[in-house]
Order: sequence, then C-alpha cells, then structure tokens
Amino acid sequence: MATANCWRCLGRPSTHRLLAPSSLTSFKAPTSVAAFTTSATLLAKDDNSFSMKGHVRTGKRLVLGKKKKGRGDRSKPPGPGERKAFRKRIQLSNDNALKVSGLPELEAQKLVDPAAVGQIVSLPTDLVDQLRTVEAFKPTQNWGLFRSPHMLVRKDTVDFLGDLTKRVGNKETVRTVIGGERGVGKSMLGLQTMAAGFMNKMVVINIPEAQDLVEARTDYSPIPRTTPEQFSHPSYILKLMQAIRSANEEILSKEIVKLEHIHLPVSVSRNSSLASLANATKEPEFAWPIFNALWQELLQPGRPPIMFTLDGLSHIMRISDYRSPSFNLIHSHDLALIRLFVEALGGKTHFPNGAAIVGVTTKGNSLKVKSMDKALEQAAADQAGLPIPERDAFYAKYDERVFEALKGVKVFDVKSISKPEARSLMEYWAASGVLRMRVDEKTVSERWTLAGNGVLGELERASLYVSRL
Amino acid sequence: MAFAVRSLRAGLRSCSRQPTAARGIAPPRTALYAKRALSSTPTRRADDKDSKDSKSQPADSPAAKETPTAAPAPAAKASKPAAADNAELRESLKTDVVPNEVQGLMSRRNPLKSTPSKSQRQAEARMLQTYENQSNFTAEQKAIFDELEKEIDLLDNAVTEATAVPKKMKKETFWGEDEEDPDMLVEDIDDEEPADDDIMSMAHGKLEEFREYREYARVAAWQMPLLSKLTRKFEPPTAEQCLRFRYTTYMGEEHPAASKVVVEFSPRDLPLNAAQQLKLKKLLGARWNPETDIAKMSCEQFDHQAQNKRYLGDLVEKLVAQAKDKTDMFEDVPLDTRHHQIKVRPKFPKEWRLTEERMQKLEEARQQSLLLDQAKEQGGQLVDGNERVDKFFAEPAMANLRIPERLSVKKSSPRASR
Repeated sequence: MATANCWRCLGRPSTHRLLAPSSLTSFKAPTSVAAFTTSATLLAKDDNSFSMKGHVRTGKRLVLGKKKKGRGDRSKPPGPGERKAFRKRIQLSNDNALKVSGLPELEAQKLVDPAAVGQIVSLPTDLVDQLRTVEAFKPTQNWGLFRSPHMLVRKDTVDFLGDLTKRVGNKETVRTVIGGERGVGKSMLGLQTMAAGFMNKMVVINIPEAQDLVEARTDYSPIPRTTPEQFSHPSYILKLMQAIRSANEEILSKEIVKLEHIHLPVSVSRNSSLASLANATKEPEFAWPIFNALWQELLQPGRPPIMFTLDGLSHIMRISDYRSPSFNLIHSHDLALIRLFVEALGGKTHFPNGAAIVGVTTKGNSLKVKSMDKALEQAAADQAGLPIPERDAFYAKYDERVFEALKGVKVFDVKSISKPEARSLMEYWAASGVLRMRVDEKTVSERWTLAGNGVLGELERASLYVSRL
Repeated sequence: MAFAVRSLRAGLRSCSRQPTAARGIAPPRTALYAKRALSSTPTRRADDKDSKDSKSQPADSPAAKETPTAAPAPAAKASKPAAADNAELRESLKTDVVPNEVQGLMSRRNPLKSTPSKSQRQAEARMLQTYENQSNFTAEQKAIFDELEKEIDLLDNAVTEATAVPKKMKKETFWGEDEEDPDMLVEDIDDEEPADDDIMSMAHGKLEEFREYREYARVAAWQMPLLSKLTRKFEPPTAEQCLRFRYTTYMGEEHPAASKVVVEFSPRDLPLNAAQQLKLKKLLGARWNPETDIAKMSCEQFDHQAQNKRYLGDLVEKLVAQAKDKTDMFEDVPLDTRHHQIKVRPKFPKEWRLTEERMQKLEEARQQSLLLDQAKEQGGQLVDGNERVDKFFAEPAMANLRIPERLSVKKSSPRASR
C-alpha cells in the first residue's frame, strides 16, 4: 500500500493525512497542501465537477453508431387502446372528495320548476346508470372530482326543459338545436335533457359523439336495395341498440311488437316485447334491419315518446370520410343512422306520440360549416321574428341538404350563468373540499367576472383545475 | 621615410575629415563599452571620474558664474576625447613636423568641409617639400612614390565621396504630395485669413432661422387678417350639383398626378328610382362603398384637368343612361359587397356609464351582498372550503370507519348462520 504522504513532497507527514487517506480521492480544496512541492498536481477530479463534463455543449455532440444505454422506460408499454381508454374513462365518483349532505335528489318536476333554479341536485343512482349507458357523461366534464354526481339546475335548464316536456306531453315534435359559446354547458344541457327524458318515460336514443360516425372510425356497409345508396354502421348500431335496450328496458319491456317483421333475418314473434326485439341479435350484420324495425315500432301510435339526441352536430353536416364502392366520398346524410336523425330533425319523420329531437352543437371540437351556420342563423332569426338573413350570394358551396336538415328547427342559445347560480355551484365545490376558499359574494363575483361573466366552463377552469389531475 | 610621409599625409587627411552620419539614416548605435556578463557593481566609464570632476564644479556656483574662463561643462566634455587623440598625434609628430602647420591642420573643426581648402593643400605641400628636402630619393624611388601618391589620391577621392554629406534627395512620398497637380484649381480658393471679428457659420444659420421666424410672424400678424376679406358664405350643393369633383395642386411643382380629377357621388342623389339605383350600384362594382353609399371614380389619363373632368362627367352620364336602360336590369346578379369590409368599432356602452343613479344602484347591490354574507355567516350557511377540509381531518379517525357495521352484516348473512 502506498503511503498517504507524497514521496517528493516537502510537507511534513502529518496524522490527519494518515487518518483520512480517502480524502485524496475527493480532493477539492486542499487545505493543507505544502507551500512548495515538485510533485505533479493531482489531476483526479470530482465526477460532478463542471470540467469533467467536457465541452459546454456536450449534450449536442453527435454520437454515431452507439445506442444510448440505460435510458428510457423499461416498463411494459400500455396495451393497444389502453391509453385511449384511460383518456376517455368516465369517473363518476371520488372517495377523496367530501360528502355533501343536505342536497335534494333530482325529480322530473325539479327540472321544470322555476323555483328550483340555482339548486344543486344529486342524480339518483338509476338515472346515473341510464345516463351512463347512453353515454351522456363526457370525459371532459369534472364528475371525477366529487363524491357523487350532482348538477346545477340553471335557468336555461328550466326554460328549455319546461317548454320541451310540455310540448312533448302534447304529443308535439320538438326539434331543437342547442347552441351557445364554448364552455357554457351545451353538453350538460343535453345531459339534463336526457335526464328529463328518462324521468318522463321517453325512449331515449343518444349518439354521444357524432364524429365517431363520419370520420371513418367504425365499420360501415352498404344497405342493399336503397336509392340513393345508403350505408350503415353495423357494430356501432348494434352497440347503440344494446344501449337503448338497457337504458330504456323498463319502457321497452312493456311495449309489445305490433308490426309484421317478415323481412327480418331473425324471427320476431308478435307478442314479444320491444326490449326483446332490440335484443334479438348479436350479429352486427343484422343490426341495421333490426334497429330499423325497432324504430318503426316506436313510431307506431300509442308508443311512448321518443327522445333522440346527438352531440357534435356540425360533424354530420358535411361530407363524411367514408367512400362508396365507386370511391366517391359519402355524404353524411347517406349514412343510415345519421339520415334517421337528420330526417327527424328536419321534420320529415312524423312522430304520432310526440318526440324531442335535440342536436347539440360543440364549439371546442367543431368544424366550420358555413351551411349549418347560415341555416341556424336563419332559424334563429325566424324564431325571433326578425328578417331572415340571406345566404351569401357569392359562396358557391352551400349544401342544400344541410338547409333541408335544419328546416324549421328551434335554436336554443345557452347563456352564461348568473351570480346566484355561480354561488350555489361554488358552495357545492367548497363543501366537497375541492374549492378551498371562503365562498362569499366577493369571491363569487371575482370568479364570475374572471369566467367571462359566468361562462360555466371558464368558471370551472378558474376554480377547479388547480386540483384536477 | 617616404612611406612615412605619405602615410602621414593620408592620416592627416583622414583626421581632418570627421565622419558624418548619412542623413535620414539613424547611425547604428554602437556599444561604447563591453558589457559585463554579470556584475553587481554599477557600470562606469573609464573617464567618468574626469567628467564627474568637471561636473563636480557646480555650474550654478557663484564662482563659476562669475569667471568667464570656466567653460560650460557640456562643451568641455564634447571636446575632450578629440583633444586627447590629437595630443597623441602631436606627440608622435613632434620631431618631424612644424608644429604650427600641424596645429593649423588639426585645428580644422568644420566637419562639413570635407575637401581640403587651398591653404591646407599649401601647408601639405610645404610639409612634404620639407620632408623631401631632408631626405634624398633616387629617381626610381620618386617614380614609385608618385605612383603611390596617385593611388592614394584616388583612394582619397573615393573616401571623400563616400563620406561626403549626401545631397538632399527629393522624397517620393506615398501620396505624391510634393508633385504639382496641374488639374487642381487653386485660384478659387480663398486663402484669406478668417476674420477674427466674425461669428461662425452655424451661428449665421441660426440667425437666418430667426429671421425666417420673424418674417412669417410678420405675415401672420399683418397679412393674414386681410384674408378674412375674401371669405364667402358656405352654400350647400343643390340637387343639380350632385357630383363632387376633387382637384389636386402641387403648388406649381410638376407632378404626374397633377392632372388627376376625382369625382364622388351617391346613387341616391341621381334622378333614379330604386331598381335603377340598384342597377347602378351593380354597375359601379368596387367603386361603390356600401357603408357610406358613395361612389368614387378618378381619371388621370389625359394631360389636362379639364379633359379628365370632362371624361368623368361623360362617364357618369353614360352610367345613368345604362341604369335607366330597361332591357336588362341585372336582377339575377346579386349586389356584390365583398370589396368592402365593414369594421365594427365597439363603443363604450351607454349602460355602463357611471351615472349617479347607477352608482347608487351599485352601492345598494354591494350593501345587499354584504348583508347576505352576514346573514349566511350568522346562520352558519357560509361555506368555506378550507374550513370543511380541516373539520373533516379534525374528526376522530374511528368515526369514519364502519368496520363494526360490516362485521355485523357478515355475521347476519345467511351463509354465516348456516
């Protein structure tokens, strides 16, 4: 073993050198170096020192022919579809949130009662199941922050649903498009509409994302003997039919098949219920004929009223990404399911039992469809009794079918919430332990103003996103 | 002996000639003494002591000042080495040479005068003559001496030439400054000395500026009020004067747009009905402004304003005639306004103005909200998120557990009872 003292060093051998030989390796600031020495300076340096890192721009040095080792995540990558499932998951409860007691449960009457405006109501478990089945909840909504699903009954809700339920009760057909600024709660109003539909014993059919039908994400097949040629989405329709059956089982199981369905590939006995008709097949290729048969059955007099809602209206007002066998792009309205909705919305379908056809527009994920914008503008002007704005004479690409589809619809513009509504909502958030601040008039007014005078989405953004994962 | 004479002469001449440094070239600095390789003692010249002695006689001492015989130290110092050399020579020549003549030769001090003067040459000749007279030479010897002398003369001339003060060479400067420039005009340049009693040109400029200010101030004070005499009352244009022409003047300057004429008119002012007006708007195209309902056309294709104006007048007449033409009223053509974007300028809303009434209302609303908060706080309904969370965590942990209940459920289950 070499001595700790330097051979040629003129320094006196000292005890501390003998005691701490390891200090030689980590020689940063030698405190007891001899004043004069002929031995070479110690060049071994600390690995962490700057000078060992080479050039200042070492990270940018080109390294060829070598794979970086020890980098990257060695864990198993997520399986196919796992990431999307995580992204699209809907979490309706959170045990970490505090339980808010003393809030009333939602009833059918509450949604149309002007006195209930500004109340937070909890959703009954059955209703939550139904809404979940028809995919009324959206992954973008913040249900996962709270102990159990609650919602605000706002003035727009009462206005819209009061009118809707009254007219549907009179066996009228309500054809409405829900519009409004981004984040004001259009999809939420759609959910409340569906809740009202379930509570008022309507058959609720919901297409949660219209873009799933037009962006060539699901399989499609031509429907034989149709002119012009139409196309169905076998898997999607099968899934939709099962959702309709399980969400509306209580109603559908009471209704009995009235029509002869000889042409159907499956035998449907006359006395079977509509629920069993909806459940008649698990084969995607038979999905469209059976769905069509179910639709025809529902249109028969004496049936419960239908509620057909669709979210993302602008997506179905354009030419889809699907192609026909002759490789032409298919217009969205030639896709059978969309055609069903569009004909209902445009007033071509007669509903003897009353119906509510509601299209919800989106602003976050939407296309600029000039035809739809103009049609809705005209519809709104017509509704308000104003002179109808004319089409732009120099825009050649107006789609006549869009104007047909939106002929005579009512446009409901969702507005921002008022301060009392914002206060009750913020009180609920605070009581859940999500909004950790004192909720008084000052803070409410502050947040309400911050949120563009009560745009609900912005209010959530200003208050909740601090704690959102 | 003869050798000695000639060498003496050569030596004399060379002595009489002091080498001069060539002008313009710095003489090489030669070391006066050998440098010691290493020494701790201070360097000193051999004759340092003498100079020290001469210096030790202080120049400013009263005795030195008073006595004119005491020469100034630097002069003495300069003459010293030369005097020492000459003394040695004198010593060697004492026996043979007439001391006066040698003295005279040695006394030549003018270094610039390289060639020996007449008297010097005579002295030389005389000196040589004495030598020749004293010694007896054969004819042969004389011939050899003559030859030698010739050679020495040649050498002497060569040396004289080499050591002569060089003639002043005309420098060829880099910029050629010394050359005469025939193209340069020198007559115009005023070589007069600047007058000391005048101010600077910048100050003159400043003065000129003030003069200009004052001139316009005078115009404003005296002449401009007279313009009011020329005022005319405004007369709004009549229905006949529906065209408004605009001319441009460039104040006498030539300008390509000087002959340009612009006409503006509104289709409403023309004698047309609604359909004809609409047709006129369609005909006008991008020249019609839908926001102001004014059409604007210009012409500058002719040389004179009058011609351009005439053309515009004719054009408007033609347009009106076309608008009145019933054969095709362009009903199928939509009115195109794409050339004009109407800018929306948001204005401060009237409702937002802070009037007294509104301020009172706001104050009331604030009071009410305060009261509401107070009432809620008293009633225990005011919600505080932090408080709720703290309260939840402050509760005993066991209160949240429901383990006993679960256990009891298990116990009461039918399977357990079996």
